[in-house]
Parts: sequence; C-alpha cells; structure tokens
Amino acid sequence: MHHDKKVTEMHHDKKFSVVNPSKMCQPMGAVQALLGLKNSMPLIHGSQGCSTYMRFQLTRHFREPIEVASTSMNEKTVIYGGEYNLMKALKNITEKQSPSIIAVASSCLTETIGDDMAGIIRKFEDANPDKELPVIVSISTPSYTESHVEGYNGTIKALVENLAAPTVPNGKVNIITGFLSPADVGEVKEILNDLNLEGIILTDTSENLDAPLSESALNLYDGGTTVEQLEDTANSLGTIALSKHVNSAGEFLEKKFGVKLVSGPLPLGLENTDSFIRSACKLADLEIPESMDRDRGRLMDAMVDAHSYNYHRKVAIFGDPDFVSSMTLFTSEMGMIPTVVCTGAKSKRFTEDIETISKEKGCSPVTLAGGDLYDMHKAIKKVGTDILIGNSYGASIADEENIPLFRAGFPIFDRLGAQRISTLGYRGGIDFVDRLTNTILDFYYDEAGYEIVEEELEETLIDHQKFAEEEI
Amino acid sequence: MEPKLEPIVETFKSREKHMCVKGEGLSIPVCDKASLPGTVTQRTCVYGGARIVLMPITDSIHLVHGPIGCAACTWDIRGSKSSREDLYKKGCSTDLGEKDIIFGGEKKLFETVIELRKLYNPGAIFVYATCVAGVIGDDIKAVCKKAEEVTGCRVIPVQSEGFQDHNKTKGHWIGCDALLDYVIGTREPEKTTPFDINVVGEFNVAGDFWGFKPLLEEMGVNIISTITGDSHVDEIAQAHRAKLNIVQCQKSSNYLAKKMEKKYGIPSIKVNFFGLEQTVNSLREIADFFGDPEMIERTEKIIESGLAEVEHKTDEYRERLQGKTVALYVGGNKAWSLVRAFEELGMDVMMSGTKNGIREDYERIKEAVRDGTIIVDDANSTELARLLKKYRPNLLISGAKEKYIALKLGVPFCDFNHDRISAFAGFNGFVSFAKEVDASVSSPVFDLTSTSLRGD
Repeated sequence: MHHDKKVTEMHHDKKFSVVNPSKMCQPMGAVQALLGLKNSMPLIHGSQGCSTYMRFQLTRHFREPIEVASTSMNEKTVIYGGEYNLMKALKNITEKQSPSIIAVASSCLTETIGDDMAGIIRKFEDANPDKELPVIVSISTPSYTESHVEGYNGTIKALVENLAAPTVPNGKVNIITGFLSPADVGEVKEILNDLNLEGIILTDTSENLDAPLSESALNLYDGGTTVEQLEDTANSLGTIALSKHVNSAGEFLEKKFGVKLVSGPLPLGLENTDSFIRSACKLADLEIPESMDRDRGRLMDAMVDAHSYNYHRKVAIFGDPDFVSSMTLFTSEMGMIPTVVCTGAKSKRFTEDIETISKEKGCSPVTLAGGDLYDMHKAIKKVGTDILIGNSYGASIADEENIPLFRAGFPIFDRLGAQRISTLGYRGGIDFVDRLTNTILDFYYDEAGYEIVEEELEETLIDHQKFAEEEI
Repeated sequence: MEPKLEPIVETFKSREKHMCVKGEGLSIPVCDKASLPGTVTQRTCVYGGARIVLMPITDSIHLVHGPIGCAACTWDIRGSKSSREDLYKKGCSTDLGEKDIIFGGEKKLFETVIELRKLYNPGAIFVYATCVAGVIGDDIKAVCKKAEEVTGCRVIPVQSEGFQDHNKTKGHWIGCDALLDYVIGTREPEKTTPFDINVVGEFNVAGDFWGFKPLLEEMGVNIISTITGDSHVDEIAQAHRAKLNIVQCQKSSNYLAKKMEKKYGIPSIKVNFFGLEQTVNSLREIADFFGDPEMIERTEKIIESGLAEVEHKTDEYRERLQGKTVALYVGGNKAWSLVRAFEELGMDVMMSGTKNGIREDYERIKEAVRDGTIIVDDANSTELARLLKKYRPNLLISGAKEKYIALKLGVPFCDFNHDRISAFAGFNGFVSFAKEVDASVSSPVFDLTSTSLRGD
C-alpha cells in the first residue's frame, strides 16, 4: 500500500483505519478551486451533507459566507438516477442566480450510481435553445479516489479543457495557484506586478475569500477569475503551476496549444522564490527588476536576524504535499531540522521531493505520504520535535507534546486571520520567519530573553508534580 | 378558502408558503419537504443527523464507513464536552477507495473495527453507513455482528446512509434506533432508587449539562444516564431501569423517549433549562412527577437559592437589551426553547425558524411565539439574507454557515450551536447567556458598519 520504506515502518500497529485524517475528498478540492471564479455558482451533485459540511469547514476557516449549491439527492432520485435533480438544479440556478458559470462537481454517490453529468448538462442545454445560459462545466470528482489535492487539480483542468480557446497571443502567464490563503494569492499577484508581467490566476481567491464587510459580499462571487480569462489561457506565454500536484491543466495547455509549462516549486522560502522569479522572467523574457533584490535581501536579513533562535530546532510539518515539501526546504534554510513531514495524499512526487531536499540539506525526516495525524503523532513521539507547523487539527497533538503549534494550511478554525496568513514570496517569507521565530521565543525563552534550558523545564515540571502531590 | 397573502420575501413560487406570520392566516408554514435542487440549502444529510445524536458518547469510537470526506469534514465538531474520555473526538474512517467500491467494503470495515478495538479498547464502536456504503450494498449489520463476536466489544451499526431523506431528523431517529436496538437494556444497574431518571436529548454542548446536573442531584434524583452528552455507553445500557425520562432536546430525542415509553413503560416529561422561568418550571415538574414531599421541599429551596444567586446579575445586560429584536434560525429545538429566555431579557423574538422542522415542531414554535412573529422553514441562504435585510433584527441566533451572512449585513450574531463559547443552561447559565447576547447586540463595532468614509 505504501511505497516508502519509512512509511511502512511507522505503520506497524495500524494498517486499515484512518484516525484523524490529514486529507479531504475530491469535491472539497473542487470547491476550493471554484471559490476563485468570478460570478460563479459551484454545484455539488450529491447528498445535501456534501455541500453543507464543506461550507461549514470553509466558512469557519475564511470567516466569509460560502455559497455552494446542492442537487439535494434523496432516496428516490438515487434509485432512478440523478438526472431530474441535476436538470432542476441547473434550471433553478440559471433562473434565480444567473451566474456566468456553473461548475458541477460529482460526489461518491453520483459517481457510483453512474450519472452521466456531461450528458445531462448537454440535455439541459438542448432543452433551452432560446435562453441565454451560463457556461456549464462538469467535473468528475469521485471522493473514493485520491484526495482534495487531485480534486483541485482536476477542476482547473476541466475548466481549461472546456474553455481555453486560442485566438491571439496575450503575453500573459497562467498561474495555477493550488489552494493558498487569499494573502498568498495576493502576494503572487504583487510579485507579477513587480515583474511587470500580466498573469491569469487560476483561480484568484484573493478578493472573494477576504472580502470587506459589505452586503456585496453576499452576491455571487464578486471578484476572481473570469470566464474570458479562462478562455484566454490558451494564448499565454506559459503556465506556472505553483504546486506540482495541480499542474494537469498546464500539461493540457502545453500539449494542445504549445503553452510552455513550469511545474513548481511553490515559492515558499528563499531558494524556491528565487526559482519562481527566474522561471517567470524566463518565460516572459524579462530582466529581473532590482526591486526583487531588495525584497530578497530583506528576507535574508530576517533569516540572519532569527538564526540563533532557530538553529537546530526540530520541526514537524503537515498539510498539502507541496506546502509540506517547500516548508521542509524553507525551515532547513533557516537552520531548523525537519524531523517528521506528513501529507495525506499518497504521492510519489512528494516523497521524491523530500528525498531531494533531505540529501541537499543533510536532514532525514520521517516521511509520511498518505499518513494521518495518528501516524504523525506516533512519529513525533519517536523522533521528537520542538514545534509543529500545520492546521488546527494539530492543536491536540501540540498540547499533548507540550510544543507550540504554528498554524498554517487548512482548516484553521481556532484562531482569527487564516485568510491573511502570508508565507509566499520574499515578503511572505519575512512575515513567516518573524512570526515563527517569535513563537519559538514565546515558548522557549524567558522574559529576559534567556533560553529556558531543559533542566529548568524539568525542574518546573517536578515542582508542579510535587505541588500536586502535596495538594492530594 | 385560504386568504391570499403577500410573499414574505421574494423567492421561488413553491417556497412562498414555507414562510408565514403567526396570526395572519397560515400560522404554520409548509414544512418537511425536499429542498429545491440548486439552492444553497442549510440542511445536511441523514448521516449528519445520526452522528450528532451519538457522537457525544465519550468512551466510544465513531467510525465512518465511507470515503474520507464524510469523516474529514465532521470529526470533533460537536462542541460537546467530556469530563472523562476524549475518544469520541477522534476522526475515524475506513477511507473507502475505488477497489472497495467495486469489490465491496465489508472486509476493510471488519479489519478496521478489529484494529481500532486493539488500539483504543473503547466502550463501543459505532459504525456509520454513508451514501456509498449503502449504494454498494455493504451489510454493515452483519460485519458489526461478526466483529462483536470476535472482539467482545460492542460494535453497533448505524444505518445512516446520507441520501435516505431530505430531512436530517430521520438521522436523529436512526441514531436513537441504534441505541434502542443495541444498547439500552443490555446491562443492569448495580442499584436502583425510586428516583432514577435519564436525561434524554442533552448533548452537553459547551458544558450545558453541567449547568443543571448539580441541581438535579441536589433534588435527590439519581441520574442513570445522559443520552448522550458526557456519557459512557455502559450507562446508556442501563437506561431502561429509569422511572422517568426528562427530554431537553425534543427535536432529536422525543422519538427516543416515546419508544422507551412503549418498550419499557418509562414516562417522559419535556424540560427546558434555558432561561430562569423554564429552569424553575422544569425542576418543579420533575419534583411533582415523583410527588415526594421532601424532594418538593428541597426543590423549592434549590429554586429559591438559585434565583437569589443570580438576582441582579443580569440587570446590566437587560437594561441594554430591552426592546431589541431577535431572529432564531436553528436546527429545531432552540426555535422554541429559547423564546422565553429572550423574553426574560426584555427582547422580542420577531422571527423563528428551523432547517429541518416537522409539523409538530412548528406547532410548538407557534405556541411559543407572539402574534406577528415570522415563522420560516428551510430558508436557503438567499432567503435568509433577504429576511435579514428586510427585517433587520438586532440579533440572529443560528449556526456557523449562517454566521457571516448576518455579519456581512451588519446584523449581530450568536452561535448557539456547536461553536458556542459558554454554557447557557440552568440558573448560572442564564447569566452567561445574557452576557454573550449582550456582547453581540451591544458591541459598538456594529454601529460602525453603517458609517462611511464619505460621511453619508
């Protein structure tokens, strides 16, 4: 089941069950991608729980209203097939919401009963020849294969496959972001702006998922990538998939229209941001502007300022595969030692990336591809860590191990500001280095700035114990 | 002939009668209908309904038999507190893959149950069927039976295939059925007293149960089990020996109480520990049921000291909240059980509605609210936004998905569902309730939402 040797080692007492998952299902990935489309309505063809629970997760993370419609399948429609409900849903959305685009993602239920979504959509379009219909795209997202990462990947691919149309070269670069925080998407846009390069962002969540307090936030997604931009992707200079795991749309554009593809790395950390900027400038045949050197210099400055606090601190990281691998590299650059790295997706690319980084940086983290938080916790108990980087589900592990949790990724529901967590590029990197180091300072240093040595920690613990015993 | 009424807000024709005004013609909205496909429904699935009823059983593993998503979005979300184990918080899944869909997931389920039993030695393993488990025809009952024989651990099937019904109420019933069929009556209590009770439909969200548990104990009743907040499965197993069931969440658990009455002859009374008046009434009703003069006397003393303890503690809040309006849009029970509590704060409930209400729920709402109150059924997100815009209540009480719809409109909001901050039940709970309501309604940030940089 698992390719990696280390992984098999870690799984000796648990082979079948998933306990505290570190992945979600494909339709969730589809929704994550669709939230960055302008004037769109995502529709899940399945039971009501699918859309409702996804909205619950997304809304408590972003603290924004999240609109995802459901075809509300029930017992009868499962027996007779979902055609009636899907047709009805398309009609209702078209009439009441009139979006520019409806993106329909399947679910495990409708995949298993074998609904032909593309066929039903065609039937709906044929039945309404005189109406001005929105663009309707069907996306196959069977929840029982892969994970949300593939759901995201397949969704961008479906959008591009359905819409990309070659006309005239546009001089732009397509950027497939993967599921990033709105702040990180914003930073990528800023970088392109600094490079004087126009981008088509697939998809741009920077406005929709960090909206001002205003009634207009309740309208169909106000900001984001337009249908016209999706069409225009065929005419770009190239595509950069920030995350390697979501590059299928780029592969399609390269094969079909000769749009050159660069896959990864996620511009997280110094070296990875360097690669991104080099690739972008190379694609567009641009000189790297001097402002970049300034920002880069500032990140190096921040890393040097922080080095003594971070050196040889052990770190465990979990989340989406490209986030974890680039965070492994970034923390290594900072002088930290990644001891456990875990992603829920069973990805060979991930383990290969970690192997490369390990060789280059001289570390050897326990690598869990397809792991859950149970596995990760076991590994942490074995090899230790001083800090955990990941989403809110890591809180109980951090609590039990008495280490700080640095929150990044999805979902984050027990702290404010998940939409504004910035890690990408030089500027996001500076933010990250400062906040991570301050977390370490808060936890491992006293008020005078001295490191709390382990004996002191132990002594404090013993004191506490004594006190507790005396109390009894 | 029905009087012709203007629709309350603009919506689909078929949805118009799902909203009404008490006292104006139709006082009970059309309800318990499938949601319109293509709308952003606030409802969930049958699995979700079963899970919220059973998940607070703290010493048990709750294993979701399906692809990863069903577990990944729903673990540890109940906000239900435990004084003992935290096994119930784990997110366990069989993580069904493509092969399992083709060849069936029974073997994987069996192995997973055996493994989880080894890892955790839980009080029980509840196995929840999801949509796909149902469609591929996995016989989870048979697997659970076999696994129970092998492990000696309770392995309980919950037939909660998500698509079974448009209403998660059915999920509540399925959860209750699992307890009736496999748990209740399977263990005898060590001792019984004439005053044994079960607290039914109390899920200890934010620790609510702890707000009135001491009151009950002081009265002299003996709590055999709580179904299901902060409970162990072995306690629920003894529930059949109770002399009385008190039912807090009538929406999810009246069904269980009725079935227990039929099967074991245990009568039930509906209680409500939200608000001072309702707490007092509930305590008195329990005491009256037993008719024991000493208990009645003790109860009066508890009431006297309980009320004395909180007297004047809510004055400051009530002063600020006087005359403010509140809209309730909740899963069910709170649509009526909170009405009096808000009135005690001097507030006016101007709208009440549920996502999954059935006719008897709306009868209860109708009894609880004043004439002129808007009653809504299954409002989707667009309708909810329109209602809030039109009536601009000073507060919306609802769940996480509705929260930011209200806030973006500048309507203060309190989460009374899974993400609540403090316990509201009992005498002291009422003070926390007043404090939390005040923190939303009276916060100056909402005054700023109508201001503009351009000064108009």
